[in-house]
Amino acid sequence: MKRFLKLAALLSFIAVITTGCAVNRATGSVDPSANLTSLKSMYVKKIPADDSTYALIADKLRSKGVTVTTGSDAAPSNVDAVVTYIDKWMWDITMYMLELTITIRDPKTDFPLATGNSFHTSLTRLSPKEMVEEVVDNIYKGAK
Amino acid sequence: MQQPSHRPIALFAALALTSLLTACSSPANREGMTPPAVVVSKHFAHSLSVQTGGGNETGALDSSNISDADLKAAIEEAVVQSKLFKGIVQGNAGDYELNVRVASLTKPVFGLTFTVEMEAGWSLIRRSDRSAVMRKSIKSSGTATTSDAFAAVTRLRLAVEAAARDNISQGLKSIAELNL
Repeated sequence: MKRFLKLAALLSFIAVITTGCAVNRATGSVDPSANLTSLKSMYVKKIPADDSTYALIADKLRSKGVTVTTGSDAAPSNVDAVVTYIDKWMWDITMYMLELTITIRDPKTDFPLATGNSFHTSLTRLSPKEMVEEVVDNIYKGAK
Repeated sequence: MQQPSHRPIALFAALALTSLLTACSSPANREGMTPPAVVVSKHFAHSLSVQTGGGNETGALDSSNISDADLKAAIEEAVVQSKLFKGIVQGNAGDYELNVRVASLTKPVFGLTFTVEMEAGWSLIRRSDRSAVMRKSIKSSGTATTSDAFAAVTRLRLAVEAAARDNISQGLKSIAELNL
């Protein structure tokens, strides 16, 4: 039994070190029917449990020349787009943002005009600010 | 008298345990994402090209994802099977251009029953004047239980494929409601 456990431990160790531990993804896409540069005002819809990500997204969009308001209520009728997001957090020594998806939507139909996603596991973790910057930059790379 | 060696059995058991613990996930495959026999109310005498985006490849230590190429193939196959359009064309050709972009794919991490939520933006563009004749957010879900697959990686892939099938089926039915 002891020999079996030793073998299992050794093979598991080899499997872990040979398959790698870092997964990185960063994508962004814009629907061909959308014109991102024409969206001058946006409303970032805050997730109730979130206390910082929505503000980082709003700041990053402001740096793109967009007038941004935030809140957790329904979007005002006078904005060009509504921004929603899903952030996933994981614990590894400390908490870190594992995945962030940001979607820019048509305020009337909820249609996703553009979407960006970043996924970084623990060893290549990014700060929430860096995650937001990566996602928003990838979305705007695909803009007309 | 010499004792029989248990080393080969121990090695085999250790290898089996290791491969079980470190099993790689597999991407949602195009056959699994193709909805069987979508019944649509109309059959358009136009040709269609399909573009997809927002998908991701599946890494070795990743969970099942939907790749753009597989989603495109599954949609094309569903269009052909349902005869919704006269035919599928590749590249910048065809009377209409269908763009399907995965906006989100929410997957569980633990559990016996896996439910995956998917949202995709479906837009149909008339190529002659580049006007959008449909823009719709389609939300779908797919569930897989231990009776579908015992291994978690397989169960998750089946749930992802079920969510994609549901999404494609809803998308095609939405297009069939249009007057093209």
